[in-house]
Amino acid sequence: MSAHWTRRARPLLGTLVEVGARGGDVEIAISAGFDVITEVQSRVSRFEPDSDVGRFHALSADASLSVDAHTAAVLAAAKELHDASDGAFDVTLGSGPGHWRCDGTRLHKLHDAVQLDLGGIAKGYAVDRAVLAMRRAGCASGWVNAGGDVRVFGEAALPLSLRDEHAGGVRPFATLADGAFATSHFDRRTRSQAVGIDGSQPVRAHVSVAAPECLWADALTKLIALSGDTADPLLARYNAQAWLH
Amino acid sequence: MRIALAASVVALAPASAFAVDYLSAEQAARLMFPDADRFESRDIDLDAAQLQALAAQGVQPRSAHWAVRIAQRGGTPLGFVVVDEVIGKFELITYAVGIGVDGAVKQVEVLSYRESHGHEIRLPAWRKQFIGKTSTSPLKVGEDIANISGATLSCTHVTDGVKRIVAVVAFARRHGGLG
Repeated sequence: MSAHWTRRARPLLGTLVEVGARGGDVEIAISAGFDVITEVQSRVSRFEPDSDVGRFHALSADASLSVDAHTAAVLAAAKELHDASDGAFDVTLGSGPGHWRCDGTRLHKLHDAVQLDLGGIAKGYAVDRAVLAMRRAGCASGWVNAGGDVRVFGEAALPLSLRDEHAGGVRPFATLADGAFATSHFDRRTRSQAVGIDGSQPVRAHVSVAAPECLWADALTKLIALSGDTADPLLARYNAQAWLH
Repeated sequence: MRIALAASVVALAPASAFAVDYLSAEQAARLMFPDADRFESRDIDLDAAQLQALAAQGVQPRSAHWAVRIAQRGGTPLGFVVVDEVIGKFELITYAVGIGVDGAVKQVEVLSYRESHGHEIRLPAWRKQFIGKTSTSPLKVGEDIANISGATLSCTHVTDGVKRIVAVVAFARRHGGLG
């Protein structure tokens, strides 16, 4: 089966993004997928001063700016999850969850100190948009994997392996079709960080979430890491399943 | 959404190695410069003084020898392609950087990805087994199609490598090393 898949990988979103495609003009579809990811990255990265997030940080309190539709979509999802999780999901990382507001594509800064970090949700969003772009470009089946945030579409059934963050090597975990999967690993030494609103620490484990859309799989790994509860009622709301391992 | 868990219990399943080949260097060069009618190979050999000059710019060239493909059309250069590899904690990544005649990065493509158990990635013998392997002779290591999910792999070392290559190519062009 593998001979029929065209696969490409590029360094994007601070990680390695792999795309697989079959059916239609795969080169055009793959380019379209990577283009969207590059576009989302340029809008929401907090490391780029010209991004919407970078420009938001440069604003003074009570000012506002017009943001890209991608940024607005990520912020709307972040707000929804913030409300659904009673404030546990917070893209300001405690710097002021109530101090920003996005009306349509106009983003308001309500306090000088508020900072946005969309790292916990934007990667999944970028994967979803890349899949959409590939399908629109006529690609029948494939997948997009942004450093472990994966979405599979069409007839693809993708075997997933999990990396062992301590010892190295990979282990077979599951086969995924027509859906998304994300893993985060929380440890003092790893890049993924989460802190509960009461200052609580996440579980020291790999947290994986499967969901129909990658944005929710990505974001929910952070919440499940905090609750440590694979039966968290939020999962059902997004048709998701979670595993600690 | 359909997800079927692997038959084996995750914690007991043996860790395996993992490798993917995406493109050969030639394929990547053609993908980056589809209008080129010729790719000319050129070697850049930096001498000690040149290495020092680069280091003074804040670039650690890491190697004195660089192989560059010059993409041309009708004898006019369209850009440059350089292949390099970097080692992470558990992974060996071979990648190609395409640079336009304006000196800006046009495209970065990963040529191959090797995931190891960890320690052996730094052993020359482990890395040597992959030399000469391209997408036309894919390795069969584990499931050919499998994808990895885990804590986000940082590609800082790839982005650092891209910056290094941009600096080396710019330096070589300034000093006549690329014609």
